[in-house]
Amino acid sequence: MSLWNGLRYRLRALLRPARHTRELADEMDFHLELEARQRARLSGDARAADDAHFAAQRRFGNRTYLHEESRRMTAFEWLDTVNRDARFAARSFRRTPGFTAVVIITLALGLGVNTAIFSALHALLLRPLPFDHSEQLMNVSLTRSGNTTRGAGSSDAIVWSVPKFTMLRDQQRVFSELGIFGPDEVTIAGDTHAAERVEAEVVGGRYFETLRVRPIIGRSFLPEELDRAGAPATAIVSEGLWQRRFDASRAALGSTIDVDGHPHTIVGVMPSSFSGLTGRSQIWIPIAAEYPGDLTEAWNLSYAGVARLAPGVDAARAESAVRTIGARIDAATPYPIGHEQWGAAARPLDATRVDPAIRRSLFVLAGAVIIVLIITCANVAGLLIVRASRREREVAVRLAIGASRPRLIRQLVTESVLLSLAGGLLAIGLAAAGVRVLEALNPASTLRLQNLTGLGVVSFSRITLDATTLSFAAALAVITGLVFGLLPALRGTRPSLVEGLTTARRSKRHGGLTGRGLLSVVEIALAVVLLAGSGLMLRSLRNLLGVAPGFDASQVLTLRVNVSSDSSAKAATNDYYQRLLTSVSSLPGVTAAALASCPPLNGGCNRTWLELPDRAPVPAADRPIVSVHWVSPAWFATMRVPIVGGRTFGIADSRNTRRAVIVSQTAAAKWWPGRDPIGRPVRLGQGGFNNDTGVVVGVAGDVKYVSLDSPPAADMYLAYSQSQRPATVVFLRTAGDPNALRASVERAVRAVNVNVPAYDVRTMDDRAGDATAQARFGAVLLAVFAAISLLLATIGIYGVISTSVATRMREIGIRVALGATNAHVLRLALGEGVSFAVLGAVLGIVGAVAATRVLSALLFGVVPADPVTYAGTVAILGAATIAAAIAPARRAGRADPMRVLREE
Amino acid sequence: MTRAALGAGTLEMLILKTLDTGVLHGYAIAQHIERLSKDVLAVEQGSLYPALERLQAKGWVTSQWKASPTGRQARYYTITASGRKHLGAKKTEYDRVALAVARVMRGT
Repeated sequence: MSLWNGLRYRLRALLRPARHTRELADEMDFHLELEARQRARLSGDARAADDAHFAAQRRFGNRTYLHEESRRMTAFEWLDTVNRDARFAARSFRRTPGFTAVVIITLALGLGVNTAIFSALHALLLRPLPFDHSEQLMNVSLTRSGNTTRGAGSSDAIVWSVPKFTMLRDQQRVFSELGIFGPDEVTIAGDTHAAERVEAEVVGGRYFETLRVRPIIGRSFLPEELDRAGAPATAIVSEGLWQRRFDASRAALGSTIDVDGHPHTIVGVMPSSFSGLTGRSQIWIPIAAEYPGDLTEAWNLSYAGVARLAPGVDAARAESAVRTIGARIDAATPYPIGHEQWGAAARPLDATRVDPAIRRSLFVLAGAVIIVLIITCANVAGLLIVRASRREREVAVRLAIGASRPRLIRQLVTESVLLSLAGGLLAIGLAAAGVRVLEALNPASTLRLQNLTGLGVVSFSRITLDATTLSFAAALAVITGLVFGLLPALRGTRPSLVEGLTTARRSKRHGGLTGRGLLSVVEIALAVVLLAGSGLMLRSLRNLLGVAPGFDASQVLTLRVNVSSDSSAKAATNDYYQRLLTSVSSLPGVTAAALASCPPLNGGCNRTWLELPDRAPVPAADRPIVSVHWVSPAWFATMRVPIVGGRTFGIADSRNTRRAVIVSQTAAAKWWPGRDPIGRPVRLGQGGFNNDTGVVVGVAGDVKYVSLDSPPAADMYLAYSQSQRPATVVFLRTAGDPNALRASVERAVRAVNVNVPAYDVRTMDDRAGDATAQARFGAVLLAVFAAISLLLATIGIYGVISTSVATRMREIGIRVALGATNAHVLRLALGEGVSFAVLGAVLGIVGAVAATRVLSALLFGVVPADPVTYAGTVAILGAATIAAAIAPARRAGRADPMRVLREE
Repeated sequence: MTRAALGAGTLEMLILKTLDTGVLHGYAIAQHIERLSKDVLAVEQGSLYPALERLQAKGWVTSQWKASPTGRQARYYTITASGRKHLGAKKTEYDRVALAVARVMRGT
């Protein structure tokens, strides 16, 4: 209790100083009064009271001093000491602005990149999902090939069809709620505003109930709205859309909104904090209303599943239950083609929030910034050691006159913490800028459309500086200050320093690893690791960028349209497409225009089975799978994809003629090796073939549709004029900057049909950029970190060499006087620094060979032990060492023996 | 008569001993010590009040404002349980040292 009593007393004195002082004064007045009265009584003379009062006051002593004394007694003494130490440190830093600036900037770099990367890790991996008890949420998915060991979220995970999901829902006993959703884009119209294209989620099951989100007004979907085809169509809108299109009026409830050409009754408004598991949805529509056919199609796989664990059920039990049910679902609805065995899997939603590849590169980057932080600490510690050696006399004097060593160490550590706090402040500015760059580079945001399992799509992952990341920065600054401050403080206050008083300049110990040298070896070694790593990533990125995608992306503007939002356009799709092409082709600046169902580098397109009627028939289950694309005749010319054999589509290819097929070179080589595919019959599982047989009319160059680093696929092209698709991508080759045409193109599309707006308007370069986004993310950031660490390591080498030269000037001077050659002097001056660099490089390369193995999954076309990268690393390090050595070497070369000796 | 000044530790011990007999204000503590020591020990106010603050900061003494017999408000000090414990330890140590010093000074 005494501790508490004492603490309370101190706190009161500290927090209410005025009151404390006043009470003290009252108490002393009381004392004085009693004292005076006592004296008056003793002398028996009432008039002596005044004298007595003065006497008492004299005896009382100096009141102000008393107050100060009392304050010193009661206040938290250490707080006061820290304050004084900090002031002292600040004064001494003002005297050495150059040193201080270098240290603070170094720290700001180290802490800044750490804070920025931490905020990315926090946003993408660590921050709890924004749902009530999100730890109970599981992602449930189908798995291909029955392999459930990797489970949901892995590349094996597949989205659900409604019937398969319903089987899971009805058979399970481990979840309290389950729901499914599919990302979608819809055109909304119907109120007084212009038609617009918005992100949507098509939902089924108890999606909102599973996530425990409630509308701010209105209600959630009713069961019959969700699972009964033909039920009145309803919609729930986001708060933003409600404000934008309905002026936040309650009258919006019950009114209709036109979704893809169909009226939907608005039944609820979701709060702005909720934008679905896609993180971008502005409107929610029941599957039954938007895609009624999906309710019965067991193989229409479009929906990601989410479930909430029932009370008392843990994730492991749910996983095994889902696996068991998965086998039953597979038995009930076997895979229609091939012998694949499918299953189902569940795993915590939190674990599926980003693509595993992004997770991997985030961890690599986290490792890299920790290395940067270690280098930063080593560098600053090195600088502080140099500073301490200049202050040896000061420290020695203070030790000699009785300052205790712990007291001095505390002073020095206060200095380093002060520095790191200053660096930390600057770092927050740097991190804020870094976070903006990261948000722009954020590979999760560019990949989310491509990953339809829904889970990479989770993008409530805006990278921002928030309270957590700022506390992280503050904590990091303090810890860093302690770490890099302690070594110099311990070294700088060695008791042997008292010798420093007796000899004007001690002769330095030569050779061997001094603390400073050891630090610079560590710095160099770590910098080499980062250099090698970033070299590998950059070479990998260069390889990726060097891949020929099979088309010419420059000066191409792309946009999407979807005719399903307008019944007239949908009824006459071919006519609509024809008018659309005519309209946009005639725009000034457009040199060619064409349509295709799927843009290249998009992560994949429609796939279906292939049958070759002129071969021996294969069982339906064994038919090969190919990708199919619907294109307009000018597409190959517009995208500059060569037709290497046969012809492109033409006006002659109409609904009344035989289906024409153009195959890619890879497809030609695969199905007709060594033979001419032109004129060969093919049948495809889709595309309005209706069991008709098509004929190969041409062979086109390979185009990368999935990604740059995947091998070319067997693609087949069909003519729009022979089988339409409701959605299409328009490609416009332009004479100038494609971005300049955006507005006029959007106007032209609206002019063709006001209910079919253009959306997703982007240049092809931009789309292609997405394909390298993840590689860029890793490579660019690693390169930045490597550059920072190289810079810091160079400063470190410079420090070692210049200190060594400074302390050996006398020796050098004498040697010059004795006739040493210039080369000899240089060797003397630089020997230590260069040998540290070599040692660091050797250690670094050994470390890099081990460390870069973690990169192998992120590399493309380069092995972790790439000799070119290592040669480059060594060359860069060599150049850095030379750069660091130039100035000190010149100083040594100018050593004037007379002056050096005179200074002695 | 010259009066003996007190070291900080000794003064604290005397204050605790004084408060062990009852609740007193600062002036009464000083009077008590001076009276019992037959005016040999001087308790300067300049050291008394800082000592009292130290004792409070250590939690050995608590204080409370109350009306004094003269009608004025005064701060009355009370020894705490841990203060008593500390006093006991100090007294044992003091007895040991005092006896030792006395033996040496008498040369027996």
